[in-house]
Amino acid sequence: MWLLSGGAAVTGHGQLGAPRSRRLQPERSAPGSRIPIMVLKVFFPSCCCSADSGLLIGRWIPEQNSAVILAVVHFPFIPFQVKQYLSEVQKVSQVEIVVLGTWCNNKQEKEESLGKFLDDLGTIFSHEPWLQLSKEKGSKFWTCHTLSRQAGTPQEDQIILIYYDQRKAMLSQLHPPEMSLDNQPGVIPAPDASKLAAVFDTVARSEVLFLTDRYDDGPLKLSHWQSEGVEASIIVELAKQASVPVCMLLTLLLSLVSGLCRSRIFKFWPLSFIWSKLSTCEQVGYRLEHLKFVFSNQKAENQNQLMRKANIFVSLLLDVALGIMLLSWLYRKNRIGQLADALIPVADHVAQELQDLLQWLMGVPAGLKMNRALDQVLGRFFLYHIHLWISYIHLLSPFIEMILWYVGLSACLGLTVVLSILSDIIALLTFHIYCFYVYGARLYCLKIYGLSSLWRLFRGKKWNVLRQRVDSCSYDLDQLFIGTLLFTILLFLLPTTALYYLVFTLLRLLVVIVQGLIHFLVDLIDSLPLYSIGLRLCRSYRLAAGVKFRVLEQEAGRPLRLLMQINPLSYGSVVQTYRLPTYSCYPKDSWGSLCKKLFFGELIYPWKQKGDKQD
Amino acid sequence: MTKPHLNMAYRKVNGHGQSITSKPSHTNCGIHLLRRTGTHNICMVSDFFYPNMGGVESHIYQLSQCLIERGHKVIIVTHAYGNRKGIRYLTSGLKVYYLPLKVMYNQSTATTLFHSLPLLRYIFVRERVTIIHSHSSFSAMAHDALFHAKTMGLQTVFTDHSLFGFADVSSVLTNKLLTVSLCDTNHIICVSYTSKENTVLRAALNPEIVSVIPNAVDPTDFTPDPFRRDDSVITIVVISRLVYRKGIDLLSGIIPELCQKYSDLNFIVGGEGPKRIILEEVRERYQLHDRVRLLGALEHQDVRDVLVQGHIFLNTSLTEAFCMAIVEAASCGLQVKSCEYQVGGIPEVLPDNLIILCEPSVKSLCNGLEKAISQLKSGTLPDPEKIHNRVKTFYTWRNVAERTEKVYDRVSREAVLPMDKRLNRLISHCGPVTGCTFALLAVLNFLFLIFLRWLTPDSVIDIAVDATGPQGAWTQQYSFSKKGEDNKEISESR
Amino acid sequence: MEERRSISDIYGGRLALQRRSYSPSCREFCLGCPRLSLRSLTAATCAVWLVAYGLFALCQNSMVLSTAIFITLLGLLGYLHFVKIDQETLLIIGSLGIQMTSSYASGKESTTFIEMGKVKDVVINEAIYMQKVIYYLCILLKDPVEPQRVSQVVPVFQSAKPRLDCLIEVYRSCQEILAHQAVTSTSP
Repeated sequence: MWLLSGGAAVTGHGQLGAPRSRRLQPERSAPGSRIPIMVLKVFFPSCCCSADSGLLIGRWIPEQNSAVILAVVHFPFIPFQVKQYLSEVQKVSQVEIVVLGTWCNNKQEKEESLGKFLDDLGTIFSHEPWLQLSKEKGSKFWTCHTLSRQAGTPQEDQIILIYYDQRKAMLSQLHPPEMSLDNQPGVIPAPDASKLAAVFDTVARSEVLFLTDRYDDGPLKLSHWQSEGVEASIIVELAKQASVPVCMLLTLLLSLVSGLCRSRIFKFWPLSFIWSKLSTCEQVGYRLEHLKFVFSNQKAENQNQLMRKANIFVSLLLDVALGIMLLSWLYRKNRIGQLADALIPVADHVAQELQDLLQWLMGVPAGLKMNRALDQVLGRFFLYHIHLWISYIHLLSPFIEMILWYVGLSACLGLTVVLSILSDIIALLTFHIYCFYVYGARLYCLKIYGLSSLWRLFRGKKWNVLRQRVDSCSYDLDQLFIGTLLFTILLFLLPTTALYYLVFTLLRLLVVIVQGLIHFLVDLIDSLPLYSIGLRLCRSYRLAAGVKFRVLEQEAGRPLRLLMQINPLSYGSVVQTYRLPTYSCYPKDSWGSLCKKLFFGELIYPWKQKGDKQD
Repeated sequence: MTKPHLNMAYRKVNGHGQSITSKPSHTNCGIHLLRRTGTHNICMVSDFFYPNMGGVESHIYQLSQCLIERGHKVIIVTHAYGNRKGIRYLTSGLKVYYLPLKVMYNQSTATTLFHSLPLLRYIFVRERVTIIHSHSSFSAMAHDALFHAKTMGLQTVFTDHSLFGFADVSSVLTNKLLTVSLCDTNHIICVSYTSKENTVLRAALNPEIVSVIPNAVDPTDFTPDPFRRDDSVITIVVISRLVYRKGIDLLSGIIPELCQKYSDLNFIVGGEGPKRIILEEVRERYQLHDRVRLLGALEHQDVRDVLVQGHIFLNTSLTEAFCMAIVEAASCGLQVKSCEYQVGGIPEVLPDNLIILCEPSVKSLCNGLEKAISQLKSGTLPDPEKIHNRVKTFYTWRNVAERTEKVYDRVSREAVLPMDKRLNRLISHCGPVTGCTFALLAVLNFLFLIFLRWLTPDSVIDIAVDATGPQGAWTQQYSFSKKGEDNKEISESR
Repeated sequence: MEERRSISDIYGGRLALQRRSYSPSCREFCLGCPRLSLRSLTAATCAVWLVAYGLFALCQNSMVLSTAIFITLLGLLGYLHFVKIDQETLLIIGSLGIQMTSSYASGKESTTFIEMGKVKDVVINEAIYMQKVIYYLCILLKDPVEPQRVSQVVPVFQSAKPRLDCLIEVYRSCQEILAHQAVTSTSP
């Protein structure tokens, strides 16, 4: 990368690389233009644009040289009362609110006396610098002066007026949340902290200022954003009051249930092992955790936790609603019975297909000539296994409808629970496929390892276990002879084993993919932050990624006017930020390592199916 | 300019930290400028460049630095090394293009003869390159660049850094390809007379267009330091990549034999490679852990620190066109001992009293080493400082650059063969089958070039800002620093 | 105050550069890409439909044709909404920040605002892009922990890809404003 020197650029000779000394001479840096000594930024609430003349109150942020105006105090007022009021507000909100200057909205013809009066106010409320904003009748452009008492003359400040929407700025939450801006009193944000975050923080913390409304007959008349819908908030208050005992009751119940789950009966070996392997149990436990979290008495500490609670609540509601819909569909018109009737023939059919497949493999599959003896042994072994399986299913068949009926009731716990149960049932019904796969893989793995170590023997090498590397080694004649013999035998038997392995691996992969899809669906329902997405959809300013500025109409000699708008977070980052963590473990290894594992006959996806061996 | 760009500083390529210090100051730059009339825009192309380490890499780097000092514009084109891709700047504005091409084998890129044309053409045009200088016959990219440069009508120079056999199948094939590649190259540079003979024979070249310019070392980097070494024992240093070509199998034969004979003999082996396992096994079998130290891969700046710890430098290379390692070792004041085949270029490199040459067999090497050890014990060896002072005068990069510049001057006066003559030459020079095949490929390449020119005309391509040379952005503003490079974002995000 | 110029992009196409100067410390650069050309639109549509008709002739299923119409409509909508960028704007406000806006053909706008405190510098960089080596303007962001280091590089005018002369002009303006900033931040 290269870059053009800034010095060359500013001098504007059109030539790259002028000597750098030029750059540092200020009079050359911008010929013909005024050099601002200080840029003063005034954040002005757009709702105060039409307010009557008065005093500007707000916060002065000296590090950034910017003034955040929060409200306008109208005439008439008693200066002492203003000061008292401000100190009260400051106590509550812990924001340093001061009188920043005057606001003059000339609705009538310009009054000389008012201007003079406003100037005098500067001496009462001393603030450095003293702002003087004024708006003429019928003109869109404002004038803005600053007075500095030390210098005597008005500084050559350049002023940027930035309009902002007070309501949106107060309600929105900047992303990513700044860690440095905690609510400690008097903490000045670090100088490198985001400027806009400080502005937003100021507005949000001075909420108490906005609580006084227009109809209050206080000593002062203020103009700022007014919240609406006081009536609705009564209902909210009632709900808040009511929710406390409900939450306590639910928490009690939940702790009872979880205590029961953790009781000693379930700690014994076979049961605990099964519990840990069945995805249904995991899902139920996960939901229990969620419920506990939502109904816990602890108040949410920050915005993030609040959002998390809301997200979990909405996803629970959706889950249960979907589950109940499924329930109502299932228990109408004896659909359970039909399902149970269909299930046994399906299992039979699968077993029959497998038998046919094995018969085909025992012959000359795809024209391949296999080792006949090994082929027959393997085939018979698997056939016997299928036979066992079918008899087991038939033993079970009278109870299947009942089991399904009771299992179906679990749909009221939510759709995800039903889906997990479905996944478990699939795992149970395809248990024979899993067994075949394990046998095939073990056999194949053994052969591959044997072949690879014998191949090393051929080359006069051996695997050094201590140092984890291949060493050279001289073998005896006998060793070489036996090794060669074994190598030949293994090599010629490899195709037969490999074929069985291949077929059963493909079957197993099919089952794993189906289960994976179900788990994916469950995860989707579990982890989607529905509340945040809804918020983004309806109140896009609540989740702000930042701000954007629009340059408003301009007139020479007047301050630059900008409109600050909230830039909403994109949907992708909403999901990313508020995604709920899920329990299920996705395969960590990449496609390459998966293929490698398959090639060497290592077991794939064993982390859930091991439990099935218990049956 | 004190803007923060400066502080980003250029990211030093691993391993040439010391070379920078040796770069001459800019004061004598002006003298060269006055004297010189025509400067060239040179593009060095090779698969091998830093961060890969080796002789070719440092040759390209040092030569480029000296050429820049003499007022030429130099850029380097190589392939991407891991995360290092895009465009980087090294000292004095030397621009390096790390092109995202697939590496096939041994750091050499895969070649289809066509796929690199669009990028290379873009670079040649935007940098206004006049001379293409390719390095190393192992580099596919260098041959690709020669081929494309000839299609585009640019002058070409090729430097051969290695020796080849003639007998086995792979050599025959490689030699044929070399014949094709070099048959219309304007000039070829070899690093030693042996190498020249070898190249002329292999590529069926006219010896007139082959020059010999030896490699050089930076003597300031390799100064002796007799206090660093332990004189109570004799230390033999071996520094090379641990591969077959460097004769590591021979080394594994020598170590146990000599260690049994002399109890005060130690070995230090620096370098990494597939043959390392052999040395480890030897060490374990004979229980030599305290006497044979394997250092693994060495950074270039660490080489000197290893060299000064030894008394004798051992080089077991089977073939070597110009062995820079022994010059470096001699510069550090070590007695050098080397084995060589009849065709090797090693005997030219150092005078006889600094080097002991042997046949490539364990017995001969042992005899040679014993001779060196007895010389050392009797104290008849010259002082390291004296050796250094002698070697210092032999090879310098400035000299290399001057001689290379003469080649460029000569080449730039020559005319590039037009397409029809080039085809004729290919067919007549390389035999009927190969010649016709490559003539067809050359025509296809030309058509591809025309297509590319139609797609993006030369006028649309921005001329790159020149960082080197007298008018360069580098020398004008700041002589010491430049900026980092982060173009991964763009090149990867699409 | 406002000037318009026609420049070319790296493919040799035309771009419209619009430069607005609101105040010495606030400038805006607008790069307008050419509109969606009718020719390429027709070509793409015809290609899809021809393929669909070929499939229809093979399998005699009219579903294919309706799917093709659907695909072209969806593709066009998606292209206009997510891919085709009509205009890219760079707004530099001294002491406040740099704002980049890209407006899609469908009217969607995506805006990024970078505060001045995070900007380390604006530079022209070189990159290998497709089979080309191009220059691009980028904003270097400061590392929040180590202010001397660059944490991220944000490319500007990603879709328009103007040529070097245009970039230099924008670069100079940026540097001018950044220089003001440097003066103002050091003087108090």
